[in-house]
Amino acid sequence: MSVGLISGSENTAHFTLDPRTKLALVATVCTIMISGRVGGIMTVIHPILALVPFVLLLFSRRVKAAVCYMIAYAAAYSMISFVMPATSGIISILIGATAGIIYRMMPSLITGYFVVNTTKVSEFNAAMEHMHVSTKITIPMSVMFRFFPTIKEESSAIKDAMHMRGISSLRNPMEMLEYRLVPLLMSVVKIGEELSISALTRGLSGDIKRTNICKIGFHFPDLVCFLLCIVCWICFVLHMGGIV
Amino acid sequence: MNQQSSKLQAKDLITVGIFTAIYFVIFLACAMLGFIPIFLLAMTFYGPVITGIPFMLYLTKAKKFGMVTITAVICGILMFVFGMGYFTMITALICGLAADFILKAGDYSSKKNTTLAYAVYSVWFIGNYIPLYLTRESYFASLVSGYGQEYVDTLRAYTPGWMFLVLLAACFIGGLIGAALGKAVLKKHFVRAGIV
Amino acid sequence: MIQIENVTFTYNNSEEKGNLKNINLSINQGEVVLLCGESGCGKTTLTRLINGLIPWYYEGELTGSVKVADKEIREQPLHTLSQQIGSVFQNPRSQFFNVDTTSEIAFSCENQGLPETEIQRRIRQTVSLFHIGNLMDRNIFHLSGGEKQKIACASVSAGEPEIYVLDEPSSNLDVTAIDDLRDIISCWKAAGKTVIVAEHRLYYLMELADRIIHMRHGEICHEWTSEAFLKMSQAEVEKFGLRPASLKQICGIHRFGAHSSGSYKVRHLAFAYKGEKQSLNIPNLSLPHSAAAAVIGKNGAGKSTLLRCLCGLEKKCSGEVETDNKTYPLRKWAKKCYLVMQDVNHQLFTESVLDEVVLGTDSTDMEKAENILNQLDLLPFKERHPMSLSGGQKQRVAIAGAIFSGKDILLFDEPTSGLDFRHMEQVAGLMQQLKRQGKTLLIVTHDPEFILKTCDNIIHIDNGSLTEQYSLDRAGIAKLLDFFELR
Repeated sequence: MSVGLISGSENTAHFTLDPRTKLALVATVCTIMISGRVGGIMTVIHPILALVPFVLLLFSRRVKAAVCYMIAYAAAYSMISFVMPATSGIISILIGATAGIIYRMMPSLITGYFVVNTTKVSEFNAAMEHMHVSTKITIPMSVMFRFFPTIKEESSAIKDAMHMRGISSLRNPMEMLEYRLVPLLMSVVKIGEELSISALTRGLSGDIKRTNICKIGFHFPDLVCFLLCIVCWICFVLHMGGIV
Repeated sequence: MNQQSSKLQAKDLITVGIFTAIYFVIFLACAMLGFIPIFLLAMTFYGPVITGIPFMLYLTKAKKFGMVTITAVICGILMFVFGMGYFTMITALICGLAADFILKAGDYSSKKNTTLAYAVYSVWFIGNYIPLYLTRESYFASLVSGYGQEYVDTLRAYTPGWMFLVLLAACFIGGLIGAALGKAVLKKHFVRAGIV
Repeated sequence: MIQIENVTFTYNNSEEKGNLKNINLSINQGEVVLLCGESGCGKTTLTRLINGLIPWYYEGELTGSVKVADKEIREQPLHTLSQQIGSVFQNPRSQFFNVDTTSEIAFSCENQGLPETEIQRRIRQTVSLFHIGNLMDRNIFHLSGGEKQKIACASVSAGEPEIYVLDEPSSNLDVTAIDDLRDIISCWKAAGKTVIVAEHRLYYLMELADRIIHMRHGEICHEWTSEAFLKMSQAEVEKFGLRPASLKQICGIHRFGAHSSGSYKVRHLAFAYKGEKQSLNIPNLSLPHSAAAAVIGKNGAGKSTLLRCLCGLEKKCSGEVETDNKTYPLRKWAKKCYLVMQDVNHQLFTESVLDEVVLGTDSTDMEKAENILNQLDLLPFKERHPMSLSGGQKQRVAIAGAIFSGKDILLFDEPTSGLDFRHMEQVAGLMQQLKRQGKTLLIVTHDPEFILKTCDNIIHIDNGSLTEQYSLDRAGIAKLLDFFELR
């Protein structure tokens, strides 16, 4: 059972993808979907890429999430294709906006979410090291991911305290901002210092080359994903060139 | 006898990680409102204002070259992973580096420089809107299938070319105000508490 | 092994306490040394000298020499020093760098660049030595405080240093976790390692410590062996400002409180966290007026949950409270409660103590606020920023806020965690003062001395339900000491 970058999720997937494959998938889905090119072969590529998150979620046993995503996507698609042309004016715009966001952004968002949720911090580090990404990026990034749950914990404790003190109902927005942020920042700084000391006294150094016991490597599912990415990119480039 | 060298040590990298985390979380919280499309535009202004508070605190600890750049790059990468396109990575790198240079020029202690640096840094967010302007026609054409002709027409009407400069200015001015706000909070709380 | 000669150290940051003067100390290999003393005496600073945090992290003026294995500390960078000296700190929550346990244990070794097979071997060895097989491959955020601290120790241990430095490692731990910690330290001792522990809670180290060194105002004052220490009477121990180390020194603390008039009868308390079937189920609980009840139980038993439910933070909790022959729903009664959290930093919001006291009320009765501050010895600090105060003072500010808001039932979550004897006494005195003012207190705590000084009855929680509720008469004290394994 491995533990995701954003803590809490434990991976019980049928297969595990190498983090670099996941990054490649994210890069592919995000760039191509966002660019929003239509027509030609993109009418085929788009649905394929939209299915990628669905398949990933399914295979990592997040069936409920997979189904929700599919439903949301299908709903957005049908809104755009059927409901919107039938309406006009402000309603059309609103539908276009909300459904449009789901339709365009969801695949990338969900793929990103999947990657972040199923990659161990050490896997991520190992992949970065293999790709020779400097420690100047990897150390801050792994600290950052490790810190997200802590921020959530602190923030929720502060929210509770605000409730206790009777200052949680909406009043002067400046005050609310102050009450919410200042204790959080103080807490974060203190924890950060303690984290720093603990890491430094266990030998963390930007200079020394670290080993990583995390096993990463490419297997058959990775090959399939890479193939898919390559095909999509080729189609995309050809489409841009006006060929397909 | 401390590492006074300007090379980034593990201690500095951890600081970058921590503050990038809190900056990004607060930024994301602001952006949550951005699901309403109009707010996405307003984000260019109030995002930098609110995130000025954590960032000013960060700047009291980021006294070496490269720390702000790394923060920017990481934010850019995160935006990309969450599906907001690759332009943010470029704008982040440029704005982060520029901010770092400005800070260094002020020797990390000039008040004016920190304000200016943060304002310049805040411009990174504009990366999200570059597709809208750079590849305008094709972008709109592509939007039609996603959002519908009417939406596109309205969007087009609301975002004339000069709007880009307005958004850019909004980021920058938001940054200036955010820096002032951050400094005020620093003075009111963090300095008096002995954290700074 | 460790030679400290003529060391004087002053922190650059004037907020830090614990400057050192004229320290001369020599520690041989294989010794287990216990550093004790009041807060601010310098024991933490001394540990920082040994593990290299001074001068590499904490800045200040350092004179004299600190040598480990005949080499000066200040001439070696921190990552080299960490191969010889491992450090464990007070707060289990902020010591881990990774999110999963196995990677965390490997952390030290990975940083040293050791080959993978070697790292795996060390992990296996450490896991079997500390019996933590059940903690492998888990999310650290889901572990209890004691388990986190075990992982921290394992992580340091896997790096195979010769010297271990621990700074108040038991502060946030319950009885079972402290036992585990003691076992770990005895493993290290058996392996011939040198261990230095700075602590307030002395009892768990009595059998292991070879030397007990007492510090005051930055200087070393006394040294004892553990037999000599145990021979001291309670009065002598208290004079040094130290916590009792054995049963003999604890007995006689308790003063049996006066009978109270009436009580709050809490009934049908039921609550479940999301995803759990039942987190709290208490059919009957009695809280005598103007008295202090201690809530004890193992970690994870539901003590904090109980407090959170009683003060209304858990909205899904159901129950009712009967008082003065009237029954109120829990939510209404909860408005009379005020929770002082374990981490007081979460509860302080404003920029001055005075503002903090009146926060949340619409009152502008500054005179009343100042009176309360005066009662709590906080009046000189009224314009200070709450976060600039010491831990104990911050706690008193939170209490001032409670009193100002007129709430009668005060709930405390671990108010004496990590406090030395004097400060614990101060808190105990404050509790007595609150009782005299008619407040009803409910205190979650692991601190037996504090309970004996302050509380009148005990509420024992286990697995979300009430095991027992008894008052602190003779028989009660015996039960209490049994629970804390002090017999």
